[in-house]
Amino acid sequence: MDRIAKFFRSTVAGPLVAFLVVVVIASLASDRFMMPQNLSNVSLQVATVAVVAIGATLVILTGGIDLSPGSTVALVTCTLAILVKNMGLPLPVGIILVLLLGAILGFINGFLSTFMKIPSFIVTLATMSIYRGLAFLITNGTPIFSVSTALEPLFYGKFLGLPLPVFYVIGLYAVGAFFLRSTIQGRAIYAVGGNESAARLTGIHVNRVRLLAFVLSGLTASVGGVLLTAWLNSGSPNYGAELGLQSIAAAVIGGASLTGGIGSMVATLIGALTVAVVQNGLNLLAVPASWQEITLGIVIILAVALDMWRADMGRSFGRLFGLSVGK
Amino acid sequence: MSVFTDEGVMPAVAPPREPLWELRGISKAFPGVQALDDVSFSVYPGEVHALLGENGSGKSTLAKCVAGVHQPESGQMLFQGKAVTFRNPTEARSLGVATIYQEFSLIPTLTVAENIYLGRYPRNVAGTIDWTAVQQGTIKVLESLSLTLDPDAIVQGLSVAEQQLVEIAKAISLQSSLLIMDEPTAALGLVETQHLMQIIRRLTAQNKAIIYISHRLDEVFQIADRVTILKDGRWVTTAPISELKMGDVVRSMIGFDIEQHYPKEHNTQPKTCLEVENLVTENGIHGVSFTVYVGEVFGLGGMLGSGRTEIARAIFGMDRHTSGKVRLFGREARFRTPSGAVNAGIGLIPENRKVDGCFFNFEAPKNITISRLKEVLTGPFLSLSKEYKVGETYVKRMNLHPSALEKSVKFLSGGNQQKVIVARWLFSKARLLIMDEPTQGIDIGAKLEVYNVINELTAAGISIILISSDFPELLAMSDRVAIVRDGQILHITEAERMTEYQLIGMASGVGESQEPEKIHRQQEAGETPHG
Repeated sequence: MDRIAKFFRSTVAGPLVAFLVVVVIASLASDRFMMPQNLSNVSLQVATVAVVAIGATLVILTGGIDLSPGSTVALVTCTLAILVKNMGLPLPVGIILVLLLGAILGFINGFLSTFMKIPSFIVTLATMSIYRGLAFLITNGTPIFSVSTALEPLFYGKFLGLPLPVFYVIGLYAVGAFFLRSTIQGRAIYAVGGNESAARLTGIHVNRVRLLAFVLSGLTASVGGVLLTAWLNSGSPNYGAELGLQSIAAAVIGGASLTGGIGSMVATLIGALTVAVVQNGLNLLAVPASWQEITLGIVIILAVALDMWRADMGRSFGRLFGLSVGK
Repeated sequence: MSVFTDEGVMPAVAPPREPLWELRGISKAFPGVQALDDVSFSVYPGEVHALLGENGSGKSTLAKCVAGVHQPESGQMLFQGKAVTFRNPTEARSLGVATIYQEFSLIPTLTVAENIYLGRYPRNVAGTIDWTAVQQGTIKVLESLSLTLDPDAIVQGLSVAEQQLVEIAKAISLQSSLLIMDEPTAALGLVETQHLMQIIRRLTAQNKAIIYISHRLDEVFQIADRVTILKDGRWVTTAPISELKMGDVVRSMIGFDIEQHYPKEHNTQPKTCLEVENLVTENGIHGVSFTVYVGEVFGLGGMLGSGRTEIARAIFGMDRHTSGKVRLFGREARFRTPSGAVNAGIGLIPENRKVDGCFFNFEAPKNITISRLKEVLTGPFLSLSKEYKVGETYVKRMNLHPSALEKSVKFLSGGNQQKVIVARWLFSKARLLIMDEPTQGIDIGAKLEVYNVINELTAAGISIILISSDFPELLAMSDRVAIVRDGQILHITEAERMTEYQLIGMASGVGESQEPEKIHRQQEAGETPHG
């Protein structure tokens, strides 16, 4: 009984329940949902947003917000396409360069919001516009198709019968979780988000920590951009428009607090999966796109509400069995 | 000085028969502390009634009961003889109670006039805000206080003192019959304070009643008609100011021989820890010099805003030094960030542990290791099991409940949170620890534990700079005390050689009390009567 109550109080409990609820609904609503082919599709769909959400979570943990990853993704797909197709660079070189580009774009966000003291919401709102504008500028507004034949295997390849993106996601989340849990910088991210003033007084370089989170966010966005380029074998300034908000949604559905300090990689992954399952379920039911958007919004509200009520639920559950657990 | 005599004090006018407010047997408890215990109190129209007591004596709580912020658990509140209860401050306001809190309630981005009428803007026929009425009403209020403020000035552009005056104007414009002023002069300079005294006289001439809470006894002697002294939530005495001497008041506030209650050990070694020479900072420190020895507790005594916290901030790398030298163990210690100070072995226990100290998203172990994570590494990575062991060690050493290991520190009491922060600096092996109000708002038991920790720390050769508004504590726990006023150190002396009245006198700028004999006589005559 105690264990059940404890579960209700743990941070991932609410998001996990929400996730299971949408899975059950989706599998009841459509026979095809649980079929291996469909689950494989879900994993492909979730890959990009899940990867981008890693960085979004890091920034949110420091108490900031990054609205720009969607635009970073667009700029990365275009740049990669130009580097590889138009300029003929080898694919690995192109990938390394765009990863570097992502880190630089993140650095700009971080520098402006820490050392220049502009709120991160404003900075990334502006760079969201600037980065996408740059993508239009370098492509003259036209998508670049058939970037490279070497790209598709990166995304559509399989290992042990599972799509490769599954391994990318698991691998990156494992690294992210380890970074947060077991490095001084990871701990500092939680400290800065938990109490900025206390963090400063205990000797943490608050600005550097925030800057790092933004650089990593730019980096994961560019990984997402590479995945998207491989997925569609093209680059376009219109790509990734929804990724910025979806990655924040994933973190929030996972229980991250927008004031910082609370959240985890596992929780964000659950959040990203929840978003993907909802979208996939609606696709299977041939729900029009307009209703998909509306449903996603409702899911965000329900998931966060569930998380808010979680602590109370733990207490009520305890009372139900005459235990006092709400201490 | 005049404040020690009857000179300049208003004669004790026989108060009108019916009190405006009467409180009978008020009790109020908060978790872990009985804030008010059977306290009775009354205030008459046209009277300034001062509430005195140390921190935590319950004076603010009492005022907040009248203001409707707190609901007393027992006792009666009578307004003009009729019993009333308040569920919230709005109900108190409707009976003419206005409060001027220490923390401002002004909206910085609005104008003076907008702030004064906030939440009760007059409407015109069309139902929109009647700005002309707002403007004229504001001008009238400001004139009645003879304030020369522009009604259209944006509040955040005003000085702190001017903001305080706006706050007062706002309270007065509410047509209140009772004004509660909680430390109204904390942010004011001498001239503004005198101005406030005039305003108060004008208000009492209009038959308004005033409850005046202040640590500055000189002001109280200047303005109050009657004084009520509280101690540890209990009523000690109520008397006309003309019947009191400064010494009596201080004596009643302290109430006992402090030495027995403070387990002070002397651990000073003849080695220098910190040398400060002619330090000047951007934040109002003008030429401060002192030395702190190894194992010494060096007290900084002063009123709020005297510069004692700013001295600490400068040493800890939070304020830029403009000139002067600071040396830590002989090495130049001019830090530009707190992290420089932390790495050099300085720790800071901030005044406001909730805002500046605790990480509420962490359990106790993570709160403790945060300033020295290098100690819990295995290879390049954090070892959570090592960290947990550190947590266990300190939880035991600090007498914390083992559940602190698993739960966020937000579930700990204030005293226990303080102990977690002390543990943080113990673990980080700080050699100089700055403690800013380390026992504020924690109960006696936890205070004693903090004192014992101070002894332990100094015995281990750690030096401490102690800042405390609790003057008996400051004098008892310090080896030497520096008196700070207006960003300067006036005097450094052995703590044992200084009495609390001398300290208060010098810190508040009224000079030393010269009537110790009278206090002794008072002592022999028995304690002040208790109703």
